[in-house]
Amino acid sequence: MNNEYIYILLADDDEDDRMFFTDAFKEIKINTRVNTFNDGVELMNYLNNENSILPNVLFLDLNMPRKNGIECLHEIKKDEKFNEIAIAIYSTSSSEEHIEETFINGANIYIKKPNDFGTLKKILSEVVTLNWQYHTSSLNKDNFLLRM
Amino acid sequence: MKRFQVYKSTLFLKIIFVISVAIIFFIGGITFKHIDNLKKSTIWVNNSQEVNLELEKLISYIKDSESGQRGFLITKNDIFLEPYRNSKKEISNSLKKINYLTKNSKFQQYELKKLIYYINKRQNYLSKNLYYAQSKDFDAKQLNKNLLIGKGVMDTIRIKVEKLMIIEKNLLKRRQLKHKETISYTPLFIYLTLLITLILLTIAFTKMNIDLKKLKKSNDQLLLSLESSNLAEIVGNYGCWQLNLETNEYTFSENEYRLLGHEPYSFIPGPEQFKKQIHPDDLEYVNQRGKQLLTNRDLPPMVYRVIRKDGSLRYFKGLGRMIENSSGTKIYIGTTTDITDEVSTNKYIEERNRELEANNKELIAFNYIASHDLQEPLRKIETFISRLVETDIDNLSDSGKQYINRIKLSANRMRILIDDLLQFSRTNKIEKVFETTNLNELLENTKLVLAQLIEEKNAIIECDVLPNLSVIPFQIQQLFTNIIGNSIKYGKENNNPIIKIKSKITIGKEEPLLPKSDDQFYKITFEDNGIGFEQEYAKKIFVLFNRLHNKNEYDGTGIGLAICKKIIENHKGHIFAEGKPNIGTIITIFLPVI
Repeated sequence: MNNEYIYILLADDDEDDRMFFTDAFKEIKINTRVNTFNDGVELMNYLNNENSILPNVLFLDLNMPRKNGIECLHEIKKDEKFNEIAIAIYSTSSSEEHIEETFINGANIYIKKPNDFGTLKKILSEVVTLNWQYHTSSLNKDNFLLRM
Repeated sequence: MKRFQVYKSTLFLKIIFVISVAIIFFIGGITFKHIDNLKKSTIWVNNSQEVNLELEKLISYIKDSESGQRGFLITKNDIFLEPYRNSKKEISNSLKKINYLTKNSKFQQYELKKLIYYINKRQNYLSKNLYYAQSKDFDAKQLNKNLLIGKGVMDTIRIKVEKLMIIEKNLLKRRQLKHKETISYTPLFIYLTLLITLILLTIAFTKMNIDLKKLKKSNDQLLLSLESSNLAEIVGNYGCWQLNLETNEYTFSENEYRLLGHEPYSFIPGPEQFKKQIHPDDLEYVNQRGKQLLTNRDLPPMVYRVIRKDGSLRYFKGLGRMIENSSGTKIYIGTTTDITDEVSTNKYIEERNRELEANNKELIAFNYIASHDLQEPLRKIETFISRLVETDIDNLSDSGKQYINRIKLSANRMRILIDDLLQFSRTNKIEKVFETTNLNELLENTKLVLAQLIEEKNAIIECDVLPNLSVIPFQIQQLFTNIIGNSIKYGKENNNPIIKIKSKITIGKEEPLLPKSDDQFYKITFEDNGIGFEQEYAKKIFVLFNRLHNKNEYDGTGIGLAICKKIIENHKGHIFAEGKPNIGTIITIFLPVI
């Protein structure tokens, strides 16, 4: 079943951003299924549920109430059953500290939220069609931040 | 050194004193001996005269006895026997006397014995003659014979007596000669020794006088330094104390009393008064430290509080050390400093520092959060506009389309402002990692960043070879980007911007713009052919949000050069701008050579 569509999760406390996100995927002509969560706690509850389907790509906002993106990243990377999930950081911030910290903690790519809907669609389609295996093996600090 | 000299001179004086005393004793001894000799010689002269007198007396006694005898013999009258009998006794006395007077001369004694023999012999004959004259069988012939012998003996006696007198005379002469000799050289000797003593005493006196002067001088100096140290104590707000460890006596300097709020010398110096005034909370601590006086050579500094006589609270700092003076007495010397002002100033500064630090942190945080958090809604506005334009632009009226365009431009401008603010707040952050960097590489990166703008305006950048310098790389790149970006942005219309970058090494005192010093700098100038500016604004353009042009003419936030100034300050360098309207701008930066 997983092979028929790309399963995508997003944890972001901002309603508008969730809307942009799902709308963008609706307009991209790729077979995807998108599920969103309001914060880290909701996300982790879902992931830790045995009946849940694990996503292909997980988009993590950093600044969230209750449990932030970095904490989620820690928990996910600790658990071997989540090894297959590609993790994309999806944040307003492009500060060096955040990029460095998430890179060290094992995120696969860092996306700065664009200020243009067209750009957003371009970025998202690029990310979900990435060859993760290839990207991850050659991952370094320079190509970690996705530049458009 | 000085003390050693004085010490040497006391030794010298002692030696002179001992020598002088010895010489005086010596002179005394010699004078005594001399006077004794004089006395002796007088006695000898008297003695000789007495001996001679006695000898003459002896002769006359003998003559008396003879003439007595003669008279008896002629007259047969007993009356003539009287002097004969008397003279016998006198002769014996006289001989005894002479014997006594000449007992020191063996030769005279010997001669005297002979004389006595002859006198006895003579008297024998005299008595024999008398006997004959009185006896019945008086023989005139025999008497005559005896008388002749008697006369011969008498002559011998005369000769002997004369001989004795001559001996005595010679003896006297000899003695007088010897005495004369002694007398003649003694005064010279005494005079000489006296002279030496006088010279020695004069030297000693001069020496003492010099020492006294030196002592007086150093005494004066001591007095002066005591006074100036008193003054210094008042100005410096400190006092001194001493503790003689042998006598257990304390001495306080004048200001030590004043520190406690008392008049100088108004109480007996010692720890008692101090302990009365030390803040009760600090008393235990001070007591503990005080015990170390007995075991430690150095008393480490201690700070304690004291309540002055007038009730005010003061902070004191104490320090002590044990020393040994030249006579080996152990003395503890210490100082007490009133550091109340220092303490309160420090407290004030600390408080101010804390406030400033907190303010600064707040400001940085505010700036960062403000610009960061402002991004979020702005991004959404922009995204919504982009969606609106994408889907619904055709449904809008012409004015609606124009408004949307205006909103888009405003949002874009706001984005630039926020980005610049964020950049400015980042250059403010404390982390400053200096690395030796090739500035040429940073310039190449800058060209990449500005590639689009350079291409758009056909800008030309001419550049010297830049040095390797220890800098914060991303900040210097930002600096280059801002300066070159400005040069292109503020170019003249219909004119290709040309930017000339020159670099050279220089020293502070050779640059009129820099403070005079021998510090070395790299001077980098950016010269453009842009619109320039009036020189009166040269300083203003580095102030945050200061713009020289209307937004409609040239876009800009007024943050770029403020960031440059901040970056140069972070590098302890200098930045200056020189403008000529319609000719161009020269930005000069000085980076210290480390």
